[in-house]
Amino acid sequence: LLQGRSLGLLLDLSADGLRQALEEMRALYERNQADVSEAKSGRTDLIFLIRFRHCCLLRNQRCVVAYLYDRLLRIRALRWEYGSVLPNAIHFHMSAEEVEWFNRYKKSLATYMRSVGGEEGLDLTQDIKPPKSLYIEVRCLKDYGEFEIDDGTTVLLKKNSQHFLPRWKCEQLIRQGILEHVLS
Amino acid sequence: VRIATCTNILKLLLFLQRVLLLVASDVDALCACKILQALFQCDHVQYTLVPVSGWQELETAFLEHKDQFKYFVLINCGANVDLLEILQPEEDVLFFVCDSHRPINVVNVYNETQIKLLVKQDDDLDVPAYDDIFRDEEDEEEDSGNESDGSEPSEKRRRFEEDVIERTMRRRQKREWEARRREILFDYEQYEYHGTSSAMVMFDLAWIMSKDLNDMLWWAIVGLTDQWVQDKITQMKYVTDIGILQRHVSRHNHRNEDEENSLSIDCMRIAFEYDLRLALYQHWSLYESLCNTSYTSACLKLWSVQGQKRLQEFLADMGLPLKQVKQKFNSMDISLKENLREMIEESANKFGMKDLRVQTFSIHFGFKNKFLASDIVYATTSLMENIEKEGPETDNFIKALDSLSRSNLDKLHQGLDLAKKQLRAIQQTVASCICTNLVISQGPFLYCSLMEGTPDVKLFSKPVSLCLLSKYLLKSFVCSTKNKRCKLLPLVMAAPMDVEQGTVIMVGIPPETESSDKKNFFGRAFEKAAESTNSRTLHNHFDMSIIELKTEDRSKFLDALISLLS
Repeated sequence: LLQGRSLGLLLDLSADGLRQALEEMRALYERNQADVSEAKSGRTDLIFLIRFRHCCLLRNQRCVVAYLYDRLLRIRALRWEYGSVLPNAIHFHMSAEEVEWFNRYKKSLATYMRSVGGEEGLDLTQDIKPPKSLYIEVRCLKDYGEFEIDDGTTVLLKKNSQHFLPRWKCEQLIRQGILEHVLS
Repeated sequence: VRIATCTNILKLLLFLQRVLLLVASDVDALCACKILQALFQCDHVQYTLVPVSGWQELETAFLEHKDQFKYFVLINCGANVDLLEILQPEEDVLFFVCDSHRPINVVNVYNETQIKLLVKQDDDLDVPAYDDIFRDEEDEEEDSGNESDGSEPSEKRRRFEEDVIERTMRRRQKREWEARRREILFDYEQYEYHGTSSAMVMFDLAWIMSKDLNDMLWWAIVGLTDQWVQDKITQMKYVTDIGILQRHVSRHNHRNEDEENSLSIDCMRIAFEYDLRLALYQHWSLYESLCNTSYTSACLKLWSVQGQKRLQEFLADMGLPLKQVKQKFNSMDISLKENLREMIEESANKFGMKDLRVQTFSIHFGFKNKFLASDIVYATTSLMENIEKEGPETDNFIKALDSLSRSNLDKLHQGLDLAKKQLRAIQQTVASCICTNLVISQGPFLYCSLMEGTPDVKLFSKPVSLCLLSKYLLKSFVCSTKNKRCKLLPLVMAAPMDVEQGTVIMVGIPPETESSDKKNFFGRAFEKAAESTNSRTLHNHFDMSIIELKTEDRSKFLDALISLLS
């Protein structure tokens, strides 16, 4: 429960980098286009240059796609990490398309979870590591205010107060750094 | 007398939804808290733990949480005041009070519905009888005189006279009853003292539920030892309680004596010890410990040059070279450590220290970790009253609570270091007070006031540290003075608390005598003196004999106190 937060940063989508890469690709492509027509009309020595530029294009394509895919993988991990609502800071760094992808992923995951495990579905994002106990002792690190538990009752989370609560209710707050799991 | 039996608690534990634990800031309370937490965790009772250091914090915590909880457990707080009056709870709120403060407020004792006291069966409470203090309102007006029954005027007059006589008799009876009630209550509430350690009561609870563990037993031991270190219980009670705990220790730890079946060295074991009462000596050097333990320092009078010489003679008598004795205890020659206890006891007897050894317990786990119960008490107290770190007081509470778990050895060691500093500071302050004659007799009590620039004075703005200082000072003073009358006086000690706000913290401790019953009248005395002089005092601490007051009001307060007690 404690390590969850270090899943890697999701920085701003490097729009500049992408643009540069795409620019470069376009420039290479255009020159290739020009050279192909020349090669067709006789200049066979240009073929090597064309092939070289083609390899560069393919490489750039691979890099860009790898970059975008890596970001998607991180975003997917975020769903498992933070739940279905992402903190604003992270949301800020995602592009519109990425947000849409995230929403669709969320929907797929939810549909799948609902289909597994009987009537109510099974929340697979809970208890990723098998828990040792139903309840855990937690300590409050910052003043948080009131926190509602399952049976409707509330707990007042004040700094340095300790609580013995059901594990599943605490997980999210522990990830957010408001509660700390006390091992004794 | 309605006192909750443990089976009562048992039943309630099974049905409890959620509980709020309000824990006072002393080591006994922390130990009791650890035991109760373990019991709750075992049975999956959800709880919230809030540390409180005084009445104000208790009230605030109650107000903040009263909408969310119906069950409150108070540890080492709440028994000596009318809880229902102060907290004004709803009718369905239930309080469980496990508090070693005595006397227990009569309302708390006789309340059948909302207050459950956790007290050991054989703890003698000396509570006055119900009828002596409570009385139902009786009809006072019986207007038989006004009935028109057609009787003759002379008869009417006679009946009227009889009525008047009856009414005056009843009024007089009521006044007499009230006067006797006031007297009874005054006697009952005059002296503060302490009952069985809360940690021991909790351990008893665990034992009755058959859920007691060696860990809990150790916490019970530390709780009792805290009462001993702070001089809150009589020697006899301490020895009796040690006997009780010893039976439990044998029961849990007998496997260690069997050579074949013994447990791994890493398992925790508790052993009974008849060990030296030198503070922290196994984690310090023998020399430092001798200098900084109040018993030896007072008996040898180590604040004087002669005292230092006596110390050297003492060490020479035992054949311990100075170089060895000043080393870390663990590095001392094994040959010297072999019969150390018996050797020291023998020599100590020659120097007038007959009680250098004391019955206590030690804990062992792993190869390196051995601690006496008193070591833990000093370490935890220093962590709890640590002035070195800025931050809310609850930070210190949490750290001290953590240090009681065996997995937090680093915090324990930090506590031991702080404790050494604290003990040194206490001895140095005691020495300077005695040498500069700062302890003066005010008539009915001795008085000593620490000035602002005194080194380490910030340490003594905390209640437990100040109390320890006062007790050690009184011990030393009694050994140093020739005035027979002064030896029997109690001590009032004052130290600056908050320079900006201009407040002073003041404690009163009972006299230091061989057979002292440790009963302290300063609680009530402080209250009365404050009332009569309109001094701005704050009686926030759970021990009524510790108060804060404004520096400007100090002299008139003291004058009132003197005249009150003369």
